[in-house]
Amino acid sequence: MGQFIQPFLMFGLCVLGGGGVLLALPRGGKSPQVLGALGAGLVLGLALLVLGLKAGEQHPVPYFYIFSFIGLGAALRVITHPRPVYAALYFVLTVISTGGLFLLLSAEFMAFALIIVYAGAILITYLFVIMLATQAPEEGEIEALADYDTSAREPVGATVTGFLLLALLTSFMFKGLPNVPPGQAASTEALLSGMPRLVEQSLAEHGLIKSGEHVALDAGKHAVMTDAGVKIEGAAGERYIAKSEWPKDLEVTNIQRVGFDLLRDHPGTIEIAGVILLMAMLGAVVLSRKQVQMDEEAKRLQALKLGEGGGA
Amino acid sequence: MMTLAQAGYPAAMGGATLGHYLVVSAILFTLGLIGFLTRRNLIIMFLCTELMFQASGLALIAFGRYHMSFTGQTFVIFVLTVAAAEAAMALALVVLLFRRRESLDAEAWQDMKG
Repeated sequence: MGQFIQPFLMFGLCVLGGGGVLLALPRGGKSPQVLGALGAGLVLGLALLVLGLKAGEQHPVPYFYIFSFIGLGAALRVITHPRPVYAALYFVLTVISTGGLFLLLSAEFMAFALIIVYAGAILITYLFVIMLATQAPEEGEIEALADYDTSAREPVGATVTGFLLLALLTSFMFKGLPNVPPGQAASTEALLSGMPRLVEQSLAEHGLIKSGEHVALDAGKHAVMTDAGVKIEGAAGERYIAKSEWPKDLEVTNIQRVGFDLLRDHPGTIEIAGVILLMAMLGAVVLSRKQVQMDEEAKRLQALKLGEGGGA
Repeated sequence: MMTLAQAGYPAAMGGATLGHYLVVSAILFTLGLIGFLTRRNLIIMFLCTELMFQASGLALIAFGRYHMSFTGQTFVIFVLTVAAAEAAMALALVVLLFRRRESLDAEAWQDMKG
């Protein structure tokens, strides 16, 4: 595989992007933030354009450019927006466009799981904590941004480090990916033979097997698939249903494949994931528990109040 | 154009296309890293680690698609698990730290040396 892009062009784009991000970082007081954001966005668009021109015959679909532009632009706003709530909302935008990219990679289950878990659950927790941990402004006072939100820490050093890393990470773009051969998909038949009940159900729904007949199983409880098709056993003897006669919807969907991979090939890791989540829950409960200090009088008043509320 | 409910797994993805996804993932990771280094708000710093999780998930799924393997997608499930666990622990810690100093500034804890 040849070069996608000239090295000097790649490094030039990295330097320009770094400059744009550097300008876009909050600096306290007046800063050319808008200019920087525009510059970084321009470089981003330029990089995507170059990638598009260099793609050759194997173009990614146009949605790729739309989703990655929205996602990366929103990511830039996450790291530059002085208000934490807005940064969290921009992060939701990044999550949604990453979900779009997952859809383009035909990972439907992960796309929706990402949106549900990240945008739906994790981000709501973040928003709650942001609201809890921000002091309400005094009455009549204009809401002031905290100093630690409006000025960045070591912007130059961080940006240089970051874009050096980016230049290294993307250096494969002009070296090519010679040692990474693409894989072959496991054939649908091979996967379906591992799911005899699915095959049987689908065939029965379409009236291809009668009651009393069932899909023949081999010693490993897999459906018997030969070149002649899937083997059916029954009182009337054996027969084969050829692949051309199979119902059109007899396919392994993405969720089925992911579930198969998860439960058949990595059963132990699910247990470990469960233990990790349990430990995190326990840790969070222990960490955030707070002893409320109340003197006797306050306790008495609180009990009275609760009693009134309960009696009503 | 791929459809949502695919009939069969789509054709192999070319190396050029893989490169595109990897570049996007690398840029997303870099932005997350810069955010983690430059922002001083503890919550935004953790938000930036989540950005880096996104980038790694994108790279995993792109490679999984390239190799026609589903282990990439399975692994992203565990990345999600770790991200959820990390969010729970980190936010509990942030709330705890905020109660002590009444500030989300990471530099308020500069005196904490090991």
